[in-house]
Amino acid sequence: MPGLAGFLDKHYLLFRRLHSLTGVFPVGVFLCTHLLTNSSIIWGMFNSRAPGNGIERGVATFQEDVSFINHLPFLLFIEISLWGAIAFHAVLGVYYARTGKFNATRYPYQDNWRYVIQRVTGYLALLFIVYHVATLRWGWSWLVPGGTTWKHINAGSTLAAALRGSANGPVEFGGIIVGLLYAVGVTSCVFHFANGLWTAAITWGLTVSVAAQKRWGYVCFSVGAALMVMGWAALIGFMTLNPVKARDIEEGKHLLVPSVEPAPAPADPAPQPRN
Amino acid sequence: MTTHAPRSKPVAGRKIRVTIKRAEGPGKPFRWETFEVAPEPGGNIISLLQKIAADPVTVEGRRSTPVVWDSGCLEEVCGACTMVINGRVRQSCSCLVDDIAPNPGDEISLEPMTKFPVVRDLWVDRARLFDTLKRLKAWVPIDGTYALGPGPTETAGQQAVRYVLSTCMSCGCCLEACPQFNLETDETRWDKSFIGAQGFSQARLFNDHATGAQLKSDRLGVLSAQGGIADCGNAQNCVKVCPKDIPLTESIGAIGRAVTLHAIAKWFSGRS
Amino acid sequence: MAQHRVIVVGGGLAGLAASVRIAEAGLPVDLFSMVPVKRSHSVCAQGGINACNDVARQQGYSEYQHFDETIYGGDFLADQPPVLEMTNWAPKIIDLLDRMGVPFNRSPEGRRDLRLFGGSLFKRTHFAGATTGQQLLYALDEQTRRYEVEGKVNKYEFWEFLWPVITGEGDARRCVGIVAQDLRTMQIRAFRADAVIMATGGCGLVFGKSTNSIICTGGAASRCYQAGAWYANPEMIQVHPTAIPGADKCRLMSESARGEGGRVWVPRKKGDTRAPRDIPDAERYYFLEERYPKYGNLVTRDIATREIFSICVDDAMGVGGENVVYLDLTHKDPDYLTRKLGGILEIYEKFVGEDPRKVPMKIFPAVHYSMGGLWTTYARGAFRPGAPAGEHKSGSLPPVGTALGVGMRYGAHENMRTNITGLYAFGEVNFAFHGANRLGANALLSCLFDGLFSGVSVVNYVREGEPAAKPAESLPAEVFDACVRQETAKADRLLATAAQGPGGPETNPYVIAREMGEEMTAASTVVKSGPRLEQAAAKIASLRERFSRVRLEDAAAWSNQSLSFTRALGDMLILAQIIIRAGAMRKESRGAHYRVDYPDRNDAEFMKTTCAAYDPGAADPHQITYRPIDADLVAPRARTYGKVDG
Repeated sequence: MPGLAGFLDKHYLLFRRLHSLTGVFPVGVFLCTHLLTNSSIIWGMFNSRAPGNGIERGVATFQEDVSFINHLPFLLFIEISLWGAIAFHAVLGVYYARTGKFNATRYPYQDNWRYVIQRVTGYLALLFIVYHVATLRWGWSWLVPGGTTWKHINAGSTLAAALRGSANGPVEFGGIIVGLLYAVGVTSCVFHFANGLWTAAITWGLTVSVAAQKRWGYVCFSVGAALMVMGWAALIGFMTLNPVKARDIEEGKHLLVPSVEPAPAPADPAPQPRN
Repeated sequence: MTTHAPRSKPVAGRKIRVTIKRAEGPGKPFRWETFEVAPEPGGNIISLLQKIAADPVTVEGRRSTPVVWDSGCLEEVCGACTMVINGRVRQSCSCLVDDIAPNPGDEISLEPMTKFPVVRDLWVDRARLFDTLKRLKAWVPIDGTYALGPGPTETAGQQAVRYVLSTCMSCGCCLEACPQFNLETDETRWDKSFIGAQGFSQARLFNDHATGAQLKSDRLGVLSAQGGIADCGNAQNCVKVCPKDIPLTESIGAIGRAVTLHAIAKWFSGRS
Repeated sequence: MAQHRVIVVGGGLAGLAASVRIAEAGLPVDLFSMVPVKRSHSVCAQGGINACNDVARQQGYSEYQHFDETIYGGDFLADQPPVLEMTNWAPKIIDLLDRMGVPFNRSPEGRRDLRLFGGSLFKRTHFAGATTGQQLLYALDEQTRRYEVEGKVNKYEFWEFLWPVITGEGDARRCVGIVAQDLRTMQIRAFRADAVIMATGGCGLVFGKSTNSIICTGGAASRCYQAGAWYANPEMIQVHPTAIPGADKCRLMSESARGEGGRVWVPRKKGDTRAPRDIPDAERYYFLEERYPKYGNLVTRDIATREIFSICVDDAMGVGGENVVYLDLTHKDPDYLTRKLGGILEIYEKFVGEDPRKVPMKIFPAVHYSMGGLWTTYARGAFRPGAPAGEHKSGSLPPVGTALGVGMRYGAHENMRTNITGLYAFGEVNFAFHGANRLGANALLSCLFDGLFSGVSVVNYVREGEPAAKPAESLPAEVFDACVRQETAKADRLLATAAQGPGGPETNPYVIAREMGEEMTAASTVVKSGPRLEQAAAKIASLRERFSRVRLEDAAAWSNQSLSFTRALGDMLILAQIIIRAGAMRKESRGAHYRVDYPDRNDAEFMKTTCAAYDPGAADPHQITYRPIDADLVAPRARTYGKVDG
């Protein structure tokens, strides 16, 4: 078998295992850090190092995390690698998923339903990630109700605006749609990762006995539950975040509200629109 | 596996309806026929089909033909009489009518397995299943049948593991219920098609035997290729429908591990 | 050079052992089976396989004692030299199976575990759980597949043997192939072969409900009989003492249940309605243990069967007034039982719905095995004692060693050959080894022994005998074509009856089959009598008359199972006739053959092989004669198994 087909055939197991591997690293690992960062809008409220109180701390912590990521060396290289890994995992995943035929209505076992859901969430996650990256990273703002473009220097406020369908306060109808899309997308990604982590252990032969598979199942469930909490926390956090207020927080205006001492001047000059 | 639900007392002298998906031959259209039968106490699906054969008249009063089906031992060790009963694959010999249709008017549906080509009615051709055993070299390569002394010793624990694997009767339940294993009528494509749980488990059986392990590398080569272990989707239906309680998912994990180690060893050994 | 070929009909243990042995010797094998060979009836064998072993040997046992037990167990009807050769080979066969990867149960030290079995006081039965036959068959199936991949064995699965192709007349007859039918396409065609081995098993279906598989019609043996092969000892049918009565068949409950300590009993009080566990030990009648203190529950099958039958039928002491007795394992450790007997306990659980680890099983005898079968000959080996020996006492020196060929001459062309040159019979389908009663766990042994030992005879015959000069492939086509025409006409005649429409129960093949089974079971199993057999002969004759008017309900030219079944029914009726006839003629009781009107063994008249020959031209086609047996190794002695009267 010459050419590409022959190459793929010869390295069949390699591609299969790379598909499994990329799901865990880098994609899965990235998902963990990403949800950890995004949920900082909630857990950041308990970050005593951040200035202010409550949501102010959340917005600031989130901004701090985003800034940290944006100052990583070789960021573009990291990003492109990540996109490549996701694309690789997705293309092979769709190809592999098409080799099976669902039968969970005939054999309605829990494992079989997870087999179905794993594939369905894979498709959903793919659609969601494309939308998510396109709108919030590549600036395809025409896909965003309200047309907000995400800016890493106003991370919280522009994100809230993009999700809520408006930069001006109340949640718009378009925002509800986007919110639902995110709810489904985030849930899909988390399920797909946690369940994939469970099956990967069988695929690689780490868990052989039924008992081991069960034990590892508890671990994967815990990981999934934690990520699910973070994902939903992030989503709720941003859906309930008023972008105007968030912008104020990011630009330090809120600190002009008197507290004990007059506020220091913001460390950074207020960002100006680039164009 | 099939466990007995607590039996509700079957009604004696009842009549039940048996609906059967029939086809005259491969590629011929399916039709459904319903027969009314009075089951015998303690009788199984086979005894229903035998009754229908003796007087094949449908509920509409139309004379049909005896239903064609595959059967052998009738005690669930040969694997022949596998079919889809009320939507679930199992052996028709060990499916007792009192359990699944205890009341008058209860219905039972019988269909041929869907992952193998139909020969006629409920009889399917499972040649692919045996072809898999060839593909995997599922045997111990002995030096012929001359008297050469005993085989390798093994512990009672090893025997216990191998014995259970060796009770696989090639019935095909695990394949029928598997979402990754699908009908393939073109024999030339079998060597690239999904092997399925029975093959993985049989490969493990022979890899775990001291002499059988001489072909381990060949088997792992097949299991690493298209249709091999990587195509398993971990739906784990196989282990739930296995009538012999063979730990098929453990075999899948064990083969996954063997393939991983084999690939790593191969990569470092420098051979391609 | 001519290309020789061998045909093996039947893919059970005997057929596969022969296929492997012959393919290994370099002759191509065409293997025919009605089912994928892995589904052959050998899978149903449960308990184990007998062979002398090191432990038993150091307790005083020997291959020779295994031989003595087998002859005594068979009530001195078997030709003795082949049995001697078989028991001598047994340990080698176990070793071979071990090398093939059979997962024999292991002792704590990792050696092959052993269990007790009927008819012996020594542990000499090797086993793989309680599915030993399945495990042995699978091992042979795997080896056959290996040769199939190498192109040395060619399988014809879902093909039915219809007729042996025979050239010549009288003693010059020679089998040169077969006619067979593809059960899917219904194509009928001839296949040439330099030798044909029949390994088609028993005929349990003649008795309707038996422990046999649905394919064990005896049809193939009957066709060989009708084609001129002799059929020996048809009346010797083993009824297994312990089976689960069922609507479609009786399911075997292995003798190993007793070998592992199972006890057979009924309540002492007739009509005792208490649950079995509520009946104290003193109120249980362990009738086998009380009547046979030496062997207890491990008396031979014919004896256990008659005792159970008599308790239920004569004494009406069956449990709950029904024809069942308890087979009790509840005193044993459940884990031990699962390890040793898991397979059969599972069968009981699935089909009865009770756990035999907790509740005693309810069992009754059922037709199980045919000691009789196609008549076969052999070349006698070197051992010829001056005078027959008496009972062999354990620990004493055997009169002969275990060298190759003391019983049968290894490689001689005629070993396990029928009266027709080139036509062999291996396994249950032949009549050798088991006499009037087979010992438990000797069947698997005889199947394998035939395949391995006499397989070599077939190879030698093909290379040195008639086929060497005149290979089957060089023969004119006419003899093959004539057989194909004959079989096609037979099939067409049956298919044509479908056009006449249904004829009611009178001519329905399934109804005729049921009536045949019921009559045969009632008249010719545990207890027989002259008058009852006469009655049965009349009934079978009337069934044959009805069969001549039989009507198929299916005219399909594709996968027509009714045709195959009906054709076999005609052949079963012929076997039924000789089973009844031979039973009526054997006016004595011996082994499994028990006549109430002749309760004693009569060695002077009947220590002979019943031999049925078929003459289609005669007014009475069944010609039954008696042939002397080779019985000069062990002298016949009373067969009591230490029964105490009372």
